Amino acid sequence: MWKRVFKMFIGLYVPLVALTMYIFYSQKEKQIIALSEYQQRDAILKKNYFLEQCNALLDDTVYWSNLEYPVSFDPMGKHTSFMDRYIELIKEITDYDQFRFIDLHGQEFFRAVRNSADSVTIGNLQNKENHQYVRAGLALSKNQLYLSQISLNRENGIIEKPNKPVLRAVAPIFDTTQTKIGVVVINFKMKRVLDQLKSKVADTELFLLDENHRVISSSLHEEDLPYETGNVDNVFPIDLISNIKGITLDTTIVDDDHIWRLQPIVLNGTKSSFGSKSNLPSEIVTPSNWYMILEIPPRLIKSYVQPLLDSFITFNIIAIIGLFTLSYVFQKKKAEKDLFYKELESKNILLTRSKDQLEENNVIVNEMNNSLEIRNKQLSDFNYLISHNLRAPVTSMSVIVEMIRIEKNPEILNQLLPKLEQVSNSITNLTKDINKYVSILDSKEIKITNIDLQELIAEVKHEFTETLLEDTGFEVLINIDAWDHISYSKFYLQSIIHNFISNSIKYKRDDVASYIEFKTAIENKHKVLYVRDNGIGLNMERHGDNVFKLYKRFHRNISGKGMGLFLVKSQLDALNATITINSKEGVGTTFKLIF
Amino acid sequence: MTTKPNILLVDDDELYLYLMKKTIHQLSKDLVVSTFTDGEQAVEYISKCTEEKIDLPEVIFLDINMPFLDGWGFLNEFKKLKDKIQNDVNIYMVSSSMRDSDIKKASHFEELTGYVVKPVNKIELAEIFKKIYHENW
Repeated sequence: MWKRVFKMFIGLYVPLVALTMYIFYSQKEKQIIALSEYQQRDAILKKNYFLEQCNALLDDTVYWSNLEYPVSFDPMGKHTSFMDRYIELIKEITDYDQFRFIDLHGQEFFRAVRNSADSVTIGNLQNKENHQYVRAGLALSKNQLYLSQISLNRENGIIEKPNKPVLRAVAPIFDTTQTKIGVVVINFKMKRVLDQLKSKVADTELFLLDENHRVISSSLHEEDLPYETGNVDNVFPIDLISNIKGITLDTTIVDDDHIWRLQPIVLNGTKSSFGSKSNLPSEIVTPSNWYMILEIPPRLIKSYVQPLLDSFITFNIIAIIGLFTLSYVFQKKKAEKDLFYKELESKNILLTRSKDQLEENNVIVNEMNNSLEIRNKQLSDFNYLISHNLRAPVTSMSVIVEMIRIEKNPEILNQLLPKLEQVSNSITNLTKDINKYVSILDSKEIKITNIDLQELIAEVKHEFTETLLEDTGFEVLINIDAWDHISYSKFYLQSIIHNFISNSIKYKRDDVASYIEFKTAIENKHKVLYVRDNGIGLNMERHGDNVFKLYKRFHRNISGKGMGLFLVKSQLDALNATITINSKEGVGTTFKLIF
Repeated sequence: MTTKPNILLVDDDELYLYLMKKTIHQLSKDLVVSTFTDGEQAVEYISKCTEEKIDLPEVIFLDINMPFLDGWGFLNEFKKLKDKIQNDVNIYMVSSSMRDSDIKKASHFEELTGYVVKPVNKIELAEIFKKIYHENW
């Protein structure tokens, strides 16, 4: 039972779980696609913002680069007045952390360092000839811009506290004679930009990497440029780095429950026209390109997928309970039904058996009824025989007795007394005959067997062989083509055939070759036996009614008791067979037996 | 045949014949009784009588069950000879049978005067004779 329940449950549940899993995963896929699309838009916005910021500061730089500076420019000395208005400008652009002019030898000749939002310190010149950005800047030709890496600002080689991520833009400057006099270096404060990038709309992470895959800024870290502060713990997943290599186009990677958006920011070698329209496009030179990477972390994906998973699980739990209950109920009902049918079947078998028994009994009862009917008929016939034939001598006797009683004359009495003996004799004879009749009907059980007619006739014929047949040439002909076996009482049929042969011999004609013929036929689906002889025959008009009656004799000169055909008919009647006679004097007699 | 019989008894029971003769004799010494033990013999006698134009007995007591030719057979033969018979013949069926079928069958024969059941006693006989012979017996 439980095995079948479990089987049915599995059969129902497996397709369902497969379907729901398919739906779940396709929905999850959709969610991820939706998320990544969302992320993509976010990423593009951030990238554009970053590029805009870069452009803005490059724009500024181009402005400073395009200024025509006095010959032998000395902003701290003879050209202080020239510089004053620009100092006000520098003061107001709060994104400027430092603003410097460096001569062709790498020596600063103007330096403005921001103290606060509205004050700068001028002076405190340093030699920067060994700095990479200075060298790169001095190598620039007109219409070239240099953009440094974003790094933490260091003063005299020491990281300035609090950490101050800066981006240095460097451009060459020229005097009025178009002679290159040095470079302008602007340190842009990047904290605001980076913070803006890191600001979260959704729970997504952002990484800004340099070309060496070092983290410049990350939403996971408050501090930018963690590698510079000696925090070597690279927060960026190393295995993704291999994916970054060689990527030049914006790409989305779905990996291990993360959705990564990789966007290379390539500035090196690009040209752009900054500032006024008259300016020629400037080429950007930068040691490093950037990678902006957005991550949708597993927890975010999970939070999106969670309701789906919840409903998947809920549905499946309900389905498990429902289907299991269904399977259980169904199997239980089925088991009950099976049991019911089994019981029904066994009852049916019992019923069939009792029906068979009844039918058997019925057959037995029918048989008994038949034999009882036969017996009844025999008894009735016997009754008639007794009452009819015994009545005559008995009445005669009573008459004689009465006569003797009143007779006084001894002579007459002497005549009467022997008459009583006559009565007694006739009663004795009658009793003997009746006894014979009764013994034939009663001596054997009416036992029905399948009889071989040929064999039976041969047997009976044998009884006559010695005495009659051989001497007289009387022939027994057998023609049993139509049928040769019959279910009947062998004892009766034997007696019947004996009587026919006996009669035929007794009443044969002396002037012809005598014979008796047994011939079978089928008429109206009944077996018929014709018994024909060429004997002296009977006057049917006179004797037709009496042929089969007891003590009827038709031939005065031939001995006989008048019992033979009476017995034949009794024996045929007893088994529902009939007999008719057709006879013609001097020609012969034909009996027709219908079984 | 010296004397013409008045009464003919046809029955195969010889004891019955003896007793009937005796009874009739007791009733009247004048009535002449003749007997046959079967119908065939009786028919032969009657046809002989008709041929020789001799009057038939006035009364015939006929048994039903007899060999060779029974009572019914006798009646059938008698029917054929009836036209040639000149005097009245009263035929009584005498049988030990009290079966309805026999009595019914007997009623269909108009040649029959009556049906008597054995044993026939003296009183019955006297009544029959009274009817036929009136006081002349």
